[in-house]
Amino acid sequence: MAAAPEPGEPEERKASCTSLHLSYWKSVKLLGFLDVENTPCARHSILYGSLGSAVAGFGHFLFTSRIRRSCDVGVGGFILVTLGCWFHCRYNYAKQRIQERIAREEIKKKILYEGTHLDPERKHNGSSSN
Amino acid sequence: MAHAAQVGLQDATSPIMEELIIFHDHALMIIFLICFLVLYALFLTLTTKLTNTSISDAQEMETVWTILPAIILVLIALPSLRILYMTDEVNDPSFTIKSIGHQWYWTYEYTDYGGLIFNSYMLPPLFLEPGDLRLLDVDNRVVLPVEAPVRMMITSQDVLHSWAVPTLGLKTDAIPGRLNQTTFTATRPGVYYGQCSEICGANHSFMPIVLELIPLKIFEMGPVFTL
Repeated sequence: MAAAPEPGEPEERKASCTSLHLSYWKSVKLLGFLDVENTPCARHSILYGSLGSAVAGFGHFLFTSRIRRSCDVGVGGFILVTLGCWFHCRYNYAKQRIQERIAREEIKKKILYEGTHLDPERKHNGSSSN
Repeated sequence: MAHAAQVGLQDATSPIMEELIIFHDHALMIIFLICFLVLYALFLTLTTKLTNTSISDAQEMETVWTILPAIILVLIALPSLRILYMTDEVNDPSFTIKSIGHQWYWTYEYTDYGGLIFNSYMLPPLFLEPGDLRLLDVDNRVVLPVEAPVRMMITSQDVLHSWAVPTLGLKTDAIPGRLNQTTFTATRPGVYYGQCSEICGANHSFMPIVLELIPLKIFEMGPVFTL
């Protein structure tokens, strides 16, 4: 059971169904289904896509003064930049996950084999001293 | 388990489910971009001043809207097929459990190291204790080890059922007269819930599945065999 808070200390925020419900509904979902906050790389891609869209659309308008065509270029730019950033970010994310998994397994092996004849560091030190 | 009003996938407890979530995010991003493009096209259609209705030749547009969907389908199909074949891999399971669907409960058989067979009924509301989950908790859970490949053999004794645990990315039909197989490796301990996923009668919604995943060391000590 938690101790009573000291004077001046903020009260502990108790988890409740209401607070969980509210925190769920606070997540930003584009078009009602793309959870930008909890999907890795989504926020990054959408932000860069929006920036690319604005730059491409506005740049086209500055050169041509055609409003509708500039909007088309802006939308096309948004789609292409978002897709490009998405694939680039997801590729790096996948590489990172693989590295994390390798590191996790190596740490487990190190804990298991440390000090035994299977310890790779001992084998390596033994061969270098010979 | 899912929280109230949850629409998205549950957190992954197996490598397959992690891959499925990644694929889901990928497909959802493509869907979002297509929806965005369609909404923009709709907006243009509603706001255009062009009223020519006798356009008969649009070769470039037709080429684009044939090739682009083909490319999109390839982008979705390749990771999808990769995961499909991944789910069919059988990585030398260390443990086999049979799951038999009945109207309206599950029977589990641990026959590898003894003859343990038990039924798993949903806990009626009157028998729930404080903290128990209504319509989800059962009297006897399926106890399994973590980080050990497990093979589930699933069948049914009467009508069609389906053994599903969303957090593990599992859903396998229980068909009378047929033995279906699924394998999984859980990555973290805990209690995970699922529900029958094939309509099977009046109490189809009242035959849940509960897995209790415990560390391998504790599982080997034999708590599951003390029933």
